[in-house]
Amino acid sequence: MQGSTRRVGIMTDIHRRFLQLLMTHGVLEEWEVQRLQNHCFKVHDRNAAVEKLEDFINNINSILESLYIEIKKGITEDDGRPIYALVNLATTSVSKMATDFAENELDLFRKALELIIDSETGFASSTNILNLVDQLKGKKMRKKEAEHVLQKFVQSKWLIEKEGEFTLHGRAILEMEQFIRETYPDAVKMCNICHSLLIRGQSCETCGIRMHLPCVAKYFQSNSEPRCPHCNDYWPHEIPEVFDPEKEREAGVSKSTRKSLRSRQH
Amino acid sequence: MLSKPRGRGRPSPHTDRDRGGGGDARTPRGGRGDETPSTSRGPGSAQETPGSSWSLSASAPAPGARTQKQLELKVAELVQFLLIKDQKKIPIKRTDILKHVIGDYRDIYPNLLKLAAERLQYVFGYELVELEPKSNSYILVNTLEPMEDDAEVRGDQGTPTTGLLMIVLGLIFMKGNTITETEVWDFLRRLGVYPTKKHLVFGDPKKLITEDFVRQRYLEYRRIPHTDPVDYELQWGPRTNLETSKMKVLKFVAKIHKQDPKDWPAQYCEALADEEKRARPAINAPASLLNSEMGSEGLGQGSGTQRHRAKE
Repeated sequence: MQGSTRRVGIMTDIHRRFLQLLMTHGVLEEWEVQRLQNHCFKVHDRNAAVEKLEDFINNINSILESLYIEIKKGITEDDGRPIYALVNLATTSVSKMATDFAENELDLFRKALELIIDSETGFASSTNILNLVDQLKGKKMRKKEAEHVLQKFVQSKWLIEKEGEFTLHGRAILEMEQFIRETYPDAVKMCNICHSLLIRGQSCETCGIRMHLPCVAKYFQSNSEPRCPHCNDYWPHEIPEVFDPEKEREAGVSKSTRKSLRSRQH
Repeated sequence: MLSKPRGRGRPSPHTDRDRGGGGDARTPRGGRGDETPSTSRGPGSAQETPGSSWSLSASAPAPGARTQKQLELKVAELVQFLLIKDQKKIPIKRTDILKHVIGDYRDIYPNLLKLAAERLQYVFGYELVELEPKSNSYILVNTLEPMEDDAEVRGDQGTPTTGLLMIVLGLIFMKGNTITETEVWDFLRRLGVYPTKKHLVFGDPKKLITEDFVRQRYLEYRRIPHTDPVDYELQWGPRTNLETSKMKVLKFVAKIHKQDPKDWPAQYCEALADEEKRARPAINAPASLLNSEMGSEGLGQGSGTQRHRAKE
């Protein structure tokens, strides 16, 4: 590639297997990616030291560059956990979502997306989405069917559902951020800290700036008097915890131990 | 993704993002207009903001006037198309490729296909193979040997229906490479699989065997003339021969019976002869989804086979 500032790495069967298996997922958490990498090293080169994940992925991305795709890393908006997805860097007529869903289903997603972006909370209610069913392009869809389609979006990790309301899954944000920013430049919200797309977060009641929950957590970490970075007013919301993968693992272990103890008592 | 234009900026994993070209030296901002990805379809796919710096002409430029970047993008699109289509396990037709991806770049179709095939092999380890000579339809064959442990790290659990396919392929081979549909159901009934009853794992076994597997080219399904009630014969389809071999299927059958392949001398001889035939053109046979289901651990890149490489 002419003038590319990045040195192109080399693909081996380790990388190929990694990519093949990665593609079977829509999105993965960091521990899953690490496990996948370990597996691929084990299969092809037991004795080699497993390369640092970030370098491993950068190496692959340097080669994927010419195919206009990339393994992209992001964090979830609710608890800041790192996630990875293989995303398209160029819009083409071909896309994963477009091939998995029918025209009217894609249009339903688009409608939900617009409601989510326009909302104050980043959530769109099921009712509001379903009310737009008559406006969909393509084959006519009934509300009952639309409910089912929304569940399909949740299962394939394009949407998250919480108490009858829908918001974007981290996967959708990773894949579509660019598209969303370009298509809805006036409606999109941005995070004051990381300057990327914001669907859900906290906002300052005085000046209106917004921040992602994990960005809030990081910014105000061990700060007893959190103040708005823009207008300095007192930050009125609860400060969430910074995501700690270690704590995650421990919590998982103690939960399962408790479960097995309970079952033995019966 | 919803067929709308997107910039090429490459968002980095870090928080501070450069909205523009992302520091990519080979894409000067000024020339962005003609470098934005174009699709093969005409006006329908054009951007929604005519007049903005993103807009490009509604149709592809004349042959000869294409930039390196446009060609790269076309190949990228083709690679993605082939990957996505192959996931459904349906052979990809040349006509579909031309219609949905190539479009106005038709004059260089053979080159684009060749470049796409190279990338598929080098980057993903998939070989683009023509299903049968002159069929103008393609499949991707995995050149990596599937491992049993792969199943633990997969995101899609493969397809549970592969088990049923394995059994039918085994049955066909053991019975002399052809079998009637009646015989298939007589056998499957003993396993609790019926043509008319919904199955917990396989769903609709009749549809799977007589339609889905046939469409995916794993099986051939032909009516036997002069039969009353009408009966059909089932044989291996072209994809089966590309993805696996008689020896591998025999080993699978033997494993199920906890016996040795040599316990079936006729089939064993036939499988050996097939191995020899594949070994003659000195190309390695690709491994595949089927092999992993059969549990062939590290048989190595077995014997070659007469494959028709993507050449046009």
